[in-house]
Amino acid sequence: MKNFLAIVFLLISTTVYSQSSRKDLVAVRLPDLTSVEKSVREQVTELQDSLASASKNPATTETALAEAYGKLGQIYHAYSLIEPARDCYLNASLLAPKDFRWTYLLAKLDQQKGSFDDALRGFRIARSLRQDYVAVPVNLGNIYLELNRLDEAKASFSAALELDKNNAAAHYGLGQVALSSRSYAEAIRHFEATLAQAPSANRVHYSLAMAYRGLGDLEKVKAHLAQQGSVGVRVADPLLDALQNLIEGERLPLARGKLAFEAKRYAEAAEEFRKAVAAKPDSAIARINLGVTLSQLGDVEGAAEQFEEAIRIEPGRVNAHYNLAILLADQNKHEQAIAHLQSALALDPNDTSVGSLLGSELVKAGRCREAIELQRRLNLKLIECHPKE
Amino acid sequence: MRIIATVLVLLLIVPSSVTGQTKPAIFKEVAAQVGLSFQHYNGMTGKFYLPEITGSGGALFDFDNDGDLDCFLVQGNTLEPNTQPGTTLFPWRGPESPRGRLFRNDLTKGKLTFTDVTQQSGIVATGYGMGVAVGDINNDGLPDLYLSNLGANQMYLNKGGGKFTDVTKESGTDDPRWSTSASFFDYDRDGWLDLMVVNYADFTTANSPNCFASNTARDYCTPRVFRAPGNRLFHNKGNGVFEDVTVPAGVSKEFGHGLGIVTADFNNDGWIDIYVANDGDQNQLWTNQKNGTFVNDALLAGAAVNRNGQTEAGMGVDVGDFDGNGTDDIFVTHLMDEINALFVNLGQAVFEDRTREAGLGMPGRRFTGFGTFFFDYDNDGWLDLFVANGSVQLVPELVRQKNPFPLGQPNQLFRNTGKGSFVEIMDQAELQLLEVSRGATVGDVDNDGDADVLVTNNNGPARLLLNQVGNQNHWLGLRLVGKSGRDMLGALVEVVVTENSVLRRRVRTDGSYLSGNDPRVLVGIGQSLKVKAVRVRWPGGTVEEWKDVAVDQYTTLKEGR
Repeated sequence: MKNFLAIVFLLISTTVYSQSSRKDLVAVRLPDLTSVEKSVREQVTELQDSLASASKNPATTETALAEAYGKLGQIYHAYSLIEPARDCYLNASLLAPKDFRWTYLLAKLDQQKGSFDDALRGFRIARSLRQDYVAVPVNLGNIYLELNRLDEAKASFSAALELDKNNAAAHYGLGQVALSSRSYAEAIRHFEATLAQAPSANRVHYSLAMAYRGLGDLEKVKAHLAQQGSVGVRVADPLLDALQNLIEGERLPLARGKLAFEAKRYAEAAEEFRKAVAAKPDSAIARINLGVTLSQLGDVEGAAEQFEEAIRIEPGRVNAHYNLAILLADQNKHEQAIAHLQSALALDPNDTSVGSLLGSELVKAGRCREAIELQRRLNLKLIECHPKE
Repeated sequence: MRIIATVLVLLLIVPSSVTGQTKPAIFKEVAAQVGLSFQHYNGMTGKFYLPEITGSGGALFDFDNDGDLDCFLVQGNTLEPNTQPGTTLFPWRGPESPRGRLFRNDLTKGKLTFTDVTQQSGIVATGYGMGVAVGDINNDGLPDLYLSNLGANQMYLNKGGGKFTDVTKESGTDDPRWSTSASFFDYDRDGWLDLMVVNYADFTTANSPNCFASNTARDYCTPRVFRAPGNRLFHNKGNGVFEDVTVPAGVSKEFGHGLGIVTADFNNDGWIDIYVANDGDQNQLWTNQKNGTFVNDALLAGAAVNRNGQTEAGMGVDVGDFDGNGTDDIFVTHLMDEINALFVNLGQAVFEDRTREAGLGMPGRRFTGFGTFFFDYDNDGWLDLFVANGSVQLVPELVRQKNPFPLGQPNQLFRNTGKGSFVEIMDQAELQLLEVSRGATVGDVDNDGDADVLVTNNNGPARLLLNQVGNQNHWLGLRLVGKSGRDMLGALVEVVVTENSVLRRRVRTDGSYLSGNDPRVLVGIGQSLKVKAVRVRWPGGTVEEWKDVAVDQYTTLKEGR
């Protein structure tokens, strides 16, 4: 009897909780999908329908409904449909308040859209749900930093280092805190530690340069400015990264490939560009990027194949003609190179890079009259030419 | 009794909005009321051509030298040759084709009223207009106009009597590319205004690819899909002809997708330098080498990228000594989700990105900023900030409301606290209009001693915000003219209010975005009833000082007296 009562009580309390949490759910602001790609529309609509069915079904458990909201939120989030994503995460976290994923992603979304008060609140709850997720204190630190609350930023980044003493993002954050406080030596120490862990993060060199400037060390300033680039530091964040895998089509691997290429990780870039080609075989952009990367890896034949395919798909792509011409010119196939350069120049008559290479190839092919005419027209430096007999 | 006490406390904390109390309006919008009726046309066809959302600007300048500010407003047009203006997404409904318009201010006849004098002015601005720059290129005391377009630019010489002549060809100042902002300044101190023209992107309707947002819907391309065409520097030879010195001056060495330009003496060496705000590329700080050449020092100076080393979408830019330390600081507006940048000049053109320390970080994330300027709206002696906003991406809330042009965002006013930081003023209805603002220009349109604001909106009306509060403090109005009677752009003014309070201002028409500002210097002096001295460093390098300059009125200071 005692057990029976306990079970009944549990059922009642669950029902009460369930009704209460469902009552608090917000109406999801459905996005306008009329102008998005068909495959994306189908992907999103399918999940919207699943959620609608789950909501209507009285047998759906809180956990299952939270999952449906969360999954739809992730898809919205992946496609930057921010407001509906937020509504979904909010509902998911109301239904499953102990599920770290939804609280965390909601906070991350708030951070991304600049709602820092909400984000701070969310990350604090997320931290109480899961202490070992290093992205939480790093995100907190970054928000405090942006709010210029330097002490709290420092405490958060330090907390991240307690979880992972070599965490590059935490060191970078501490470096930024120190730089803001004009504690240049401390900033340098943290930025150096960042680069030790993430050597490809060449944007850190700029921060290092500014710190050395504060110390008056002009030589080091110049040395680091010469190395600075566009690759930054980010904390490992499996939950957020997983969103990218939900995106259909070529764009994600293209973006990843570009980042890898900029960081000179050519093998990784090639892999991403191959994925982009696989996702959209008729993408000239994907093929040009793959071609450029393959040529960096020394695969001239593979590169030429991609450029040729890109030209077949889009004959008006100047870059494809130009890049293919460079490969052909390197192989002393001057006439073939000239043909592609002429195509490129016809597409963009003012492109001096194309004109310059064409002039040089015409000279090499002994087509002096054409070379001189071109060099004059484009105001290029005249190169000595020996006509072929 | 306890209950009564609680009720009283509740009553005391009812917010002013509930009780109907509002703070006094800082600005009153009067454009249509005073005859400044202008509707911008962007030629939008649904093909997502980048120029559609980029323009346009306007200028406040006294073309007839009658002592009040007139106005030129830049107009767009169609982008494709066979498109009729009446058939685009937002059809043109004007009685004649879209055209930039000149308005004469008749304030000196007794009342702030603008009259459209375009037809008789001789200005035929029917290209796809972007911006306007103002400067007296022939030292005749009459301000001339340079109009930047998507396509051929135009130089209009002010002949007096309200007439302008197109001297683009004779002056050699055309640039057929997509030009945006431009600046007149005397870089070689020869007494003639030179011209720098900023170019944006190598765009044609034929080479414009299809671009997509992250949700895969069609969207505007970033400028980076188009080649950066490079800027152009023209040297004024003093005989009505300009020479293209872009290459010999060294400013061709770095490229960027340029949108904003401002000129100032950043390193206090007496020679005017150039700062260019680029969209998605590093900004440039062209330091004047005093020999006709420039070197881009932006990266080393700490003003090329944000504090994290990231390039951002630089749009508008302005310069002012906001912290009163005697150096010119730089403010650049950016895209939503980026933050605008405040580069604080520590002296000798060494800059630090102190945006968040100055309280400008978070407020800038919410909107996409374009036109901007430092000005002292309340005449308390500290330079405040105005930012004109308007998105370049669809605003979901406006899409849901079925807004046909869902890019509108409010504009922003930031009050300088006098302690190195700013506070956003949130409760001003005139700033809350959801419009797609681009250009913004500042000037005392009604000559009442406080700074008014002209905002130009893409696919929307021009707005004239008359300042309602500034002249509650005291002020000093100065017009700095050279021996020829020309406004001496680049002159540096120091108003010595007390031994410990020296206000540094500069004579300029450039800055902001696609726009031209009042060349007069309006200096707020708070509760002070007089100033000890006014020192002027003329662009040629000489320094003069005036005592007993009257407050609460405009005074003309002439070089060499």
